[in-house]
Amino acid sequence: MARNPLQGELAVVGVGSTPYGRDLQRTALSLGLEAALKAIEDAGIDRQEIDGLCGSGMDVLAMGGAGFLALQGALGIEKTTWVKNGWLGSCFVYAAEAVFSGLCDMALVVQSYTRDVLMSRSAAGDPFRLRAAQKKMGDGLFAQDDFARRWLHSGEPYAGWMGRYMHDFGASKDVFGLMAVNNRSHGVRNSNACQRTPITLEDYHASRMIWAPMQMLDMDVPVDCAEAFLITTRERARDLRRKPVFIDAMSLGGTRVGEFYENTLGWTENAFWVCLEGLWARSQLKVEDVDLFYPYDGYTIDAIATTEAAGFCKPGEAEDLFKSSWDARANILRLNGGRTQVTTHGGGLSQGRAGGANFYTEAVRQLRGSEGDRQIAGAKTALVCIGSFFHDPSAVMLRAA
Amino acid sequence: MTAAEVSDDDVFSAFPAVLLDRDNIAHYRGILAGKLLVNRCAACGYWVYPHRPLCPQCLSWDVHPVEISGRGKVFLFTLIHQVREPGGRLREPIVAAAVELVEQSGLRYLARIVNCPGERIIPDMPVQLTWVESENSIPMPAFEPVVAKEG
Repeated sequence: MARNPLQGELAVVGVGSTPYGRDLQRTALSLGLEAALKAIEDAGIDRQEIDGLCGSGMDVLAMGGAGFLALQGALGIEKTTWVKNGWLGSCFVYAAEAVFSGLCDMALVVQSYTRDVLMSRSAAGDPFRLRAAQKKMGDGLFAQDDFARRWLHSGEPYAGWMGRYMHDFGASKDVFGLMAVNNRSHGVRNSNACQRTPITLEDYHASRMIWAPMQMLDMDVPVDCAEAFLITTRERARDLRRKPVFIDAMSLGGTRVGEFYENTLGWTENAFWVCLEGLWARSQLKVEDVDLFYPYDGYTIDAIATTEAAGFCKPGEAEDLFKSSWDARANILRLNGGRTQVTTHGGGLSQGRAGGANFYTEAVRQLRGSEGDRQIAGAKTALVCIGSFFHDPSAVMLRAA
Repeated sequence: MTAAEVSDDDVFSAFPAVLLDRDNIAHYRGILAGKLLVNRCAACGYWVYPHRPLCPQCLSWDVHPVEISGRGKVFLFTLIHQVREPGGRLREPIVAAAVELVEQSGLRYLARIVNCPGERIIPDMPVQLTWVESENSIPMPAFEPVVAKEG
């Protein structure tokens, strides 16, 4: 076992989500502010209690956008003793570790995502989206004068891994399609999901080819949205109005190969495996104890990799697992002998791309028991696995109070 | 033109969108001279790619660009049906492949596969280095299937 001194010491006490839409005609900051206000309202705290702030993005400073400088100013939060920007699932871990270390007591994480021009060709027709991308990426927006560098943060190598996975394990493409159908079936029931038309495996296979073998329905949906959550100490959580959701254990993951995606390590050596190994070394729970499973679905292959890395099945056996775990009536997956549902909000594939932040807020609401007609009865634990198998994945085990 | 005759200015003007630095410029100088160079550790022989100044195996700084044999096999590949540029159209899919070079396990170079229909490409297929002109009319490294007579 690894050390896990934070077990049960931290809680999520507020969550906030904006509407999700293809074109909300709002800035990343505006969306982030709405999610932040909703999280503050949800927790029932005075905003001046917030003394830690994690904004959106990969830049250290990220002037503009929904970075911490803009958010703190726009929210009128007088003083913070911890600030950072973050993205994907690691932002949650950063904020939790800041609270645990004592750098702050009430950390607000705001994750704002917009449909940007590198993910949606139609977005480039919108002068606001084009200008935002140019500001961020400069003249090199589409420039590509060395083919060998085009996979530096690209989705194409994930497509390459789909082919490699099918070749090495003799899997069919259904393994990816079943995850897409599962997420859509849940998205159909989520009134805040962007894609709510039911799909079948046949629809999946017929979707537009983007980077063969990757198709449109393997990719999350670029949308405008924001999510926010508040993390604080167990002691403070006791006094707040919402039932706290506790952090049982968490882990990040890194390998010596993460920058140039083509030099990736083997399937079971990639960062997801390191990350999940780190989680299980810290949690006293086991994969059989997971009531709700939230594997990131930026691309369907991410969700396949995390399902296997988490130990729901052996490497290369996800297709058998999914076919034997398929609920044909509801068109969803039921793992752990039928008890464990997967990506209950529809994920990035159906609700929309929030970099995984919507997996956290959904897990928190489910563990509170507050999801109304979408509530999964009796859910006590949720495993949230967000990120890339090339870089900074996170695994977080959450527990109901 | 030998690599030594290619000036820094030549490299900067040939690759306006590459983040050229002192660790990678020799690689691009090599491309302009028609050679595919990869950093190699003179102390232990380990190939160091992406271009970095320190050998991750033995921590020697004695790392220098060396021409590779140009033989390898396809590790990952995808057929790009849709480009990112709005309005951009492809007559046929572009193949992007991570080619595992014979020099070292895990040493892979991303390049196009040419002279082979996309549907004929399979994982682990042997390929060899060739050069194809980029949009800027610069011959760039690409790979093609190894023809049987050379097998």
